Amino acid sequence: MLNSTFLHFLTLLLFKQKSKHIGTVLVSVMLIFLLSSVLFISSSLESSLMKTLQGEADFTVTKLKAGETTQTPNEWMDKIEQINGISALSPRIYGRYFYAPKEKSFLIVGVDFFEEQNAKTIQKLIDGLDLKAFLSTDSMIVGAGVKQFLEAHYFKNYFTFKTSQGRFKKVKILSTLPSQHNLIANDMVLMPIELAREVLGMAEEEITDITFNVPNDAEWSTIIAKLHLMFNDVRVVEKKEIQKAYENLYNYKGGLFLILYLITLLTFVLILYQRYTMVYSSERKEIGILRAIGWSIQDILKLKFYENIIIVMVSFVLGVVLAYGYIFMLDAPLLSQIFLGGANLENYVVFTPVVPFGLLGSIFLFYAVPFLAAVLIPAWKIAVIPPKEAML
Amino acid sequence: MIKSFLMLFSLLCLLLVVAIGHYLSYNRANHTIEDTSSLSGLSSFSWSVGYAEPRIRGYRIMQNPAYPQMQAINKMDFIYAQ
Repeated sequence: MLNSTFLHFLTLLLFKQKSKHIGTVLVSVMLIFLLSSVLFISSSLESSLMKTLQGEADFTVTKLKAGETTQTPNEWMDKIEQINGISALSPRIYGRYFYAPKEKSFLIVGVDFFEEQNAKTIQKLIDGLDLKAFLSTDSMIVGAGVKQFLEAHYFKNYFTFKTSQGRFKKVKILSTLPSQHNLIANDMVLMPIELAREVLGMAEEEITDITFNVPNDAEWSTIIAKLHLMFNDVRVVEKKEIQKAYENLYNYKGGLFLILYLITLLTFVLILYQRYTMVYSSERKEIGILRAIGWSIQDILKLKFYENIIIVMVSFVLGVVLAYGYIFMLDAPLLSQIFLGGANLENYVVFTPVVPFGLLGSIFLFYAVPFLAAVLIPAWKIAVIPPKEAML
Repeated sequence: MIKSFLMLFSLLCLLLVVAIGHYLSYNRANHTIEDTSSLSGLSSFSWSVGYAEPRIRGYRIMQNPAYPQMQAINKMDFIYAQ
């Protein structure tokens, strides 16, 4: 049956009745484009997040006060160090600085640039950075979003922070972090630890939190127990818990769109079923002629199957490729705001291409099977009518 | 096969090849955000959230209003586990 005459007849039929198919193709492309876009963006963000989480410490310890996290005393470091099985214990100093005139905030992070690894990393990130000059004056390195915001508000080379003591602190904007890192560094301001303490209004003996690793997984619960026995007002956050929370967040957002898609698809299939029932009733004569010249019911169904599988394939490929281009080539204007938010600084993110082939396969099945069923059932109903009756 | 169909098919193939080409040739080494993450010690995304909302995950109780059963591990979990 699949000879060149059949193919010629099939393609001729497709183009002859293009007005019948064009609407179906357009709606299908739109549905697949929307769903694929959401899945692409969610997979890309999830993959980037998992990569950054690999570098995160196994545990984070913070002091609690009245149920809220507060500054952690530096002396906790010495106490935690006494626990066996802990490695890479380090303090973190960070916090948000609120720029009241525009109601925007930056994430201030204190970095120990005297540490060899940190010095190497910053020089790798920013080509030609003079670390000596950076450390000799009150300077900072800002994320691309912060730079853009400050420039728009006439802070070209310096920014004046208002500390919690009400004093003003003028800090030089030395360099900008690469815009490819906007995903985590858009609102970030890196500065030496002491300067960060001053800007955030933290005392010398205070830190934001403490991080450490426990190489032996079997000891994790014991370490948590020891920490809770050691301090009464402590919150211990495990890395795997954060990982789970992120996974759930993206599955939730992706899942929400998937539910919407399924509802829309169901409606679309119902409309399609009704439409093709009407269309094929008007094509009874055509099917009757084919049957009269010797086509079997199976041949008619084959013709309709191939005709519609082409439509399904064209719609699916177009929808997925357009979604790929929109997300990974144009960096998802508008849609990225749903995932990244838009309440603070504007963020222009470069998404790393990640294609969830398994999910795409599922979308194809969810789309193709109901589509073909909605089209072939009305065709079969007409094809089983004897040709003489069909042509009346 | 008629010419128009062949043209449509070629166009689709071209689109597909462009997308596959972009996917395979994308320089992933240039876009490593791990360096910034290791430098700051923070892996949280730069979500554009309001000042009152948590910018860093894990420092408020991680409870999603859509999934109330998704509780964070805290002191009480530990006590009950005993």
